[in-house]
Amino acid sequence: MKRISKIIACLAIVALAATSAFAAEGGNPKKGKYLYKKNCKVCHVAGAAGGALTPLSKTQRQWDRFFEKDGHKAAPEAIKSFSEQDLKDIQQFLYDHAADSDQPETCG
Amino acid sequence: MRKLFALLLVAALAIPATALAAPTVEELQKKIQELSAELEDISDRVDSNEKKTATDRINWYGDLRVKADTLQYKDLASTNFGPAIAGTGMPFGEKKDFDNDILYTTRLRLGMKAKAAKNVSFSGRLSMYKVWGDSTGVQVFDSFNAFTTDGTNGGNPTGDFLRVERAYFDWKDIGGSDFYLSIGRRPSTYGPPSQFRENELRGGTPSGHLVHFNFDGITLGYKLSDLTGIEGQTVRFCYGLGYESDYGNGNLMNPEVNVEDVHLGGINFDALNDGTNFLQFTLFRAENITDAFKGLAVYPAFDTDGDGIPDSPNQGGFVSRIAATENIGDMWLGGIGFTREEMNGMNWFVSGGWNRSEPNGKLSQFGFGGLLTSTAGDTKEQDGFSAYAGIRVPAPLGKFGLEYNYGSKYWFAFTQAQDDIAGSKLAARGNVGEAYYIFDINPNMFIKVGGIYYDYEYSGSGVQVGEPVKVQDIQDGKAFTGFPVPDKVIDGYASLTVKF
Repeated sequence: MKRISKIIACLAIVALAATSAFAAEGGNPKKGKYLYKKNCKVCHVAGAAGGALTPLSKTQRQWDRFFEKDGHKAAPEAIKSFSEQDLKDIQQFLYDHAADSDQPETCG
Repeated sequence: MRKLFALLLVAALAIPATALAAPTVEELQKKIQELSAELEDISDRVDSNEKKTATDRINWYGDLRVKADTLQYKDLASTNFGPAIAGTGMPFGEKKDFDNDILYTTRLRLGMKAKAAKNVSFSGRLSMYKVWGDSTGVQVFDSFNAFTTDGTNGGNPTGDFLRVERAYFDWKDIGGSDFYLSIGRRPSTYGPPSQFRENELRGGTPSGHLVHFNFDGITLGYKLSDLTGIEGQTVRFCYGLGYESDYGNGNLMNPEVNVEDVHLGGINFDALNDGTNFLQFTLFRAENITDAFKGLAVYPAFDTDGDGIPDSPNQGGFVSRIAATENIGDMWLGGIGFTREEMNGMNWFVSGGWNRSEPNGKLSQFGFGGLLTSTAGDTKEQDGFSAYAGIRVPAPLGKFGLEYNYGSKYWFAFTQAQDDIAGSKLAARGNVGEAYYIFDINPNMFIKVGGIYYDYEYSGSGVQVGEPVKVQDIQDGKAFTGFPVPDKVIDGYASLTVKF
């Protein structure tokens, strides 16, 4: 029992010492999903002005690059109403569900 | 001085004029040549990437978990094997504690994905789950977990070899419809709501409360969401084979043996799955349940005088291939599960399970009884129930979770492949509580520290054979069972998982 306590203590220290490497840190993916569905899907569906676009359309790095460098330059006015936090939330949602993200391990 | 100033001014004006002068044709040609060379280089690099992508038929991913468990079995009661185990057997009516101070395990899971056509994909998972310092692959038969079977290998430590835990294809949008067909070794483990304690996304299709077992089978699904507009709504008709009765059982030598295959079929309905709410209904039936699965184990003792009681220790440690001797009845299983992921990161779930046994009156020739009964000719149906609830909340550096489940006397479900060392907690006929803390180090790495407390009320958790009896009665010597029966088990654990 003493040994396991020591192991637990060591693991806790490792966890405390570890640094986070979140790409879109500080975003709430749930809020991001809501904002994305409410705002982005207006244009980003097949046949609409922005064309079909889903989180799976890009990889995690591509989404990060898009938010860091592109800034929706094709239509900058479309994201004007978003606050910085809103954009972080949307970025987090897209990052979490990107083409190279973990996917549910189900059939179908 | 004025002259110098004038010259400097002229020079200053002249420089930008020179700089802004239109490039000469030669300069442009040079630039084009440079760009062409660069494009050629990039094209070469893209070609090699394209070639690599085209020839990489399978995308690999996986995770590695190393875990330390400390186990305490309280008031372990004796069995009919017990007295025969040389020097260690406990007489009936006695109880002892057993501790395993430290037990390390490594679980490696290698996932595979491949696209065969636009609407056809392959998924697979190879897994190794081993105890440190042991790669035997076969254990002494002292519990259901010690029995190496087709359905539970993925969840019970065996050896340093990779097993095919999953291998199936998905044929989607068949003929342009919303139907899909999936056949193979199923994603029938780690289903919802297991994902919260596993700290991963949904790990399987069926309810993890009812099914956590490696099945081979078929799923015909229909994505209702396009029809109803309800996100994630899918209905699935599932079929699986639990036991192949002829192949490999020596029936060519003894055609008289007449054990039927075990077939399972049912419906699995994701009524709602919108990323926040998940509601799932499950109902299925297992036909011709057998008294055993096919598998390998080392019997602790043999019956040498034919009275059904093991009397001679298996001192040579001979490995036995076990197969069923009888079909003992049918079973219904059903359940409703609801999970919710709140906006603030809190997740919670409630799930109810039910099973009804329909014994056919036959008993196992192993002497362990019939389908949840020990009386020959008993065909009385019995109902079992289980409740499972849990919550996981954001906590400093990660998450904190609490879970509880209860199983009644006749509770039985196919969750034996849960990979907890002391056995499937959801199979327990009694009360089980679990608390854990997850430290998220980065999106691909976490540490989990926790404990599970099992308080068994009845014997035979996770086993379909024999009448469940009160643990207290076994301790008092009024009843006996085939396997050692603990009263309480405490499993403290710490694990580190890395996804890649």
